[in-house]
Amino acid sequence: MKSLDVRGMACPGPVVSVKRALETAVGELRVLLDDGAPRENVKRFAEGRGYQVQEEPLEGAFAFTITGAQRQTAAISGRAGAVVMLIGSDRLGDGPEELGRLLMRNFIMTLVELPELPDRMLFINTGVLLTARGSEVIEVLEALGNRGVEVLSCGICLDFFQKKELLAAGGVTNMFTIAESLLQAGSVVRL
Amino acid sequence: MVKDGDYVAIFNSIHRVMEAERLLKAKHLKMLLIPAPRALAADCGLAVRYSEDVRGEVEAALAQAGLLPRDLYRKTGDTYQKVEGNHI
Repeated sequence: MKSLDVRGMACPGPVVSVKRALETAVGELRVLLDDGAPRENVKRFAEGRGYQVQEEPLEGAFAFTITGAQRQTAAISGRAGAVVMLIGSDRLGDGPEELGRLLMRNFIMTLVELPELPDRMLFINTGVLLTARGSEVIEVLEALGNRGVEVLSCGICLDFFQKKELLAAGGVTNMFTIAESLLQAGSVVRL
Repeated sequence: MVKDGDYVAIFNSIHRVMEAERLLKAKHLKMLLIPAPRALAADCGLAVRYSEDVRGEVEAALAQAGLLPRDLYRKTGDTYQKVEGNHI
């Protein structure tokens, strides 16, 4: 049985790690995790995808045994492979800047209400302004992370806008990961 | 995005909702422009969310600027209750 220890990991680390492990796990997956948000988020994520979760309290932590198979949403929706969303701007569409920014915020906030989500969201150029402190969609991006969406921002871009220390949602990535993600994706949604 | 007890104000045009956002932000009042919840019909699809603690200030600022919403709702449990009365 494959096992994983995500104790001490900050959100959405536990969900992202479990998601990755489930993609390659055969049979059961045993996960050691902290009580509170990690426990709730991982349980919600796994059950939401059709897995069964058995909980076992340990001293100061929990052990999950995750079994079953992912619900075949891909077959139903016609989705094949990972869906990667490339967010290249803090604005959606061409036109007045204010409207574009409003539409982008509205898009991300709407996304979290939908049952089917992208597997990964890559933020580049001014897109990283959405993941840095001061953005109004941090709470929503965290919620997406807790539902298994990998939120990644381009390191060069954060550096350019002097937001490196201000990243508030998701992780930092580089061009290797961005390029690989785009090439390996089942579909890419570019915003 | 909308917690129990939060208020959701629906405007009848995108220009009014944007103007309301500018006004409330300039006054440093805690609010968030959100997609209008599906349960509440809104032409422009946007709404302003705020909490009870700033309700008085938010509505006074909107009233003074002639920007009162078309409808106001309060989230109670899983439903939205229309707030009737003299806020508009």
